[in-house]
Amino acid sequence: MITTVTLNPAIDREYFVDNNEVMKNQFIYNEKDLKVYPGGKGLISAVNFKALGYHDVQNIGFVGGKQGLFFEKMVQKYDIISNYIHTEKEIRNNVKIIGRNPATYTQYNDYTYQVSTEEVQELVNRFQRSISESDCILISGSIPEGVHFDIYQRLIRIAKTKDKGVFLQGSGEALKLALAAKPDIVTPYFKHHQTILDLEMDTKKDYIKAGHKMQELGAKYVMIPFHCDRLLFDKNGDVYQLSPQEYCIINWLGASDAYNTAFLDYIFQHDFDFFEANLRGAAAALWVAENKKIYLSARENFNCCLDRLKIKKLEV
Amino acid sequence: MSKVKDYMIRTMNSITPKDSIKKAIEIMYRSEQSVLPVVDEHNRFIGTIYSNNILKNIIPESFGFLDSSRLFYEVNEAVENLKEVKAEPIEIYMSENRDAVEEDSDMKKVADIMLNNKESLLFVINEAGYLRGFIERSNLLHFLLDEADNSDLTADSK
Repeated sequence: MITTVTLNPAIDREYFVDNNEVMKNQFIYNEKDLKVYPGGKGLISAVNFKALGYHDVQNIGFVGGKQGLFFEKMVQKYDIISNYIHTEKEIRNNVKIIGRNPATYTQYNDYTYQVSTEEVQELVNRFQRSISESDCILISGSIPEGVHFDIYQRLIRIAKTKDKGVFLQGSGEALKLALAAKPDIVTPYFKHHQTILDLEMDTKKDYIKAGHKMQELGAKYVMIPFHCDRLLFDKNGDVYQLSPQEYCIINWLGASDAYNTAFLDYIFQHDFDFFEANLRGAAAALWVAENKKIYLSARENFNCCLDRLKIKKLEV
Repeated sequence: MSKVKDYMIRTMNSITPKDSIKKAIEIMYRSEQSVLPVVDEHNRFIGTIYSNNILKNIIPESFGFLDSSRLFYEVNEAVENLKEVKAEPIEIYMSENRDAVEEDSDMKKVADIMLNNKESLLFVINEAGYLRGFIERSNLLHFLLDEADNSDLTADSK
């Protein structure tokens, strides 16, 4: 079984309109102009794993209220095993308005979801007993209000006690605290903070410094997004740069989740090879970014991007 | 052959024997499930807690045969009884049945169990006994409808 964790799920709603204007009523009559789907980084990876043919994939996290029940129904349509703590408060709705002419993109991100201390403890208990069958746990995404920043650290410690591999994609204080639990693979995201471990990210040197710092604090392997490239830190602390060639990016949504999925997929299918796994991850992310897709389909689709990827060692 | 895994609901919403009655009730109303699977510390299915298991223990036996003024009194008594037992572990009230079906079981077996035992819901496990979800009567009806449509198609093609 593969376990993915989504603590801050959302119902994503996309509305496509001809011209998105303030103070103008819009009418949507065509169903292709309205998309509603379950969102959350761990969940997108779970959908990807199912698409790649894995039988048992569970998504653990919180859902809340009537909208949480709706969210869970949507998840179950993908044949993912839902494993949610049902909270009292309603989960989030993210609204995206996409205008065609002129091309505009307006996003309303909802960060109102709250969970209680008891609900957090219930999640930890549920996590502890539900990972028995999993060899690897993928933890990714933000955390809702009410959850202490040490949540990832707690979950990773439980996973490590049970001898499970952990892949973490986190940010901010939660990432910083999680490193003490020694996750195997760490990739930070920093769209909200523009910092990693409180370090400002500007030059390539800053990124390298942050990568090494994460390893000092406990991460075995680190991958840091660096514009459209990735900086890879192997377990010896050597640094490599993975770069795509001749690409045209039209979509970011789902790219990093595709990366995480294809990286782990390679490891599940072969022996552990940090660079080969990263190449598969990058190929999957590139395929998503160039094809306006959110989810992966077959391996063959993204493997065709492999020959446009290069890894070079950096002299540090 | 249609299998349980083609029609089941995949969820690991569950409770453990040491969890309280209060927690069971909260999970039941929030997840809109009046039956919950009870699992061990590794998520293996070990029993079932029905809302009826709880109700039977807090509502006096004569409930249902009373006039309305008496009913009000009985409900108040049930509330008092629930105060007494809400912290108790559900292991006292759970049914230790193992009438679960496996994901790869034939749907006809599910039909047989549900209809003969008057079960409205069966939990689904994998071959090692780990919880995978549940299957209920609406899923059974879905299967039967598919069978009916298929047999119509077969008849038409002849």
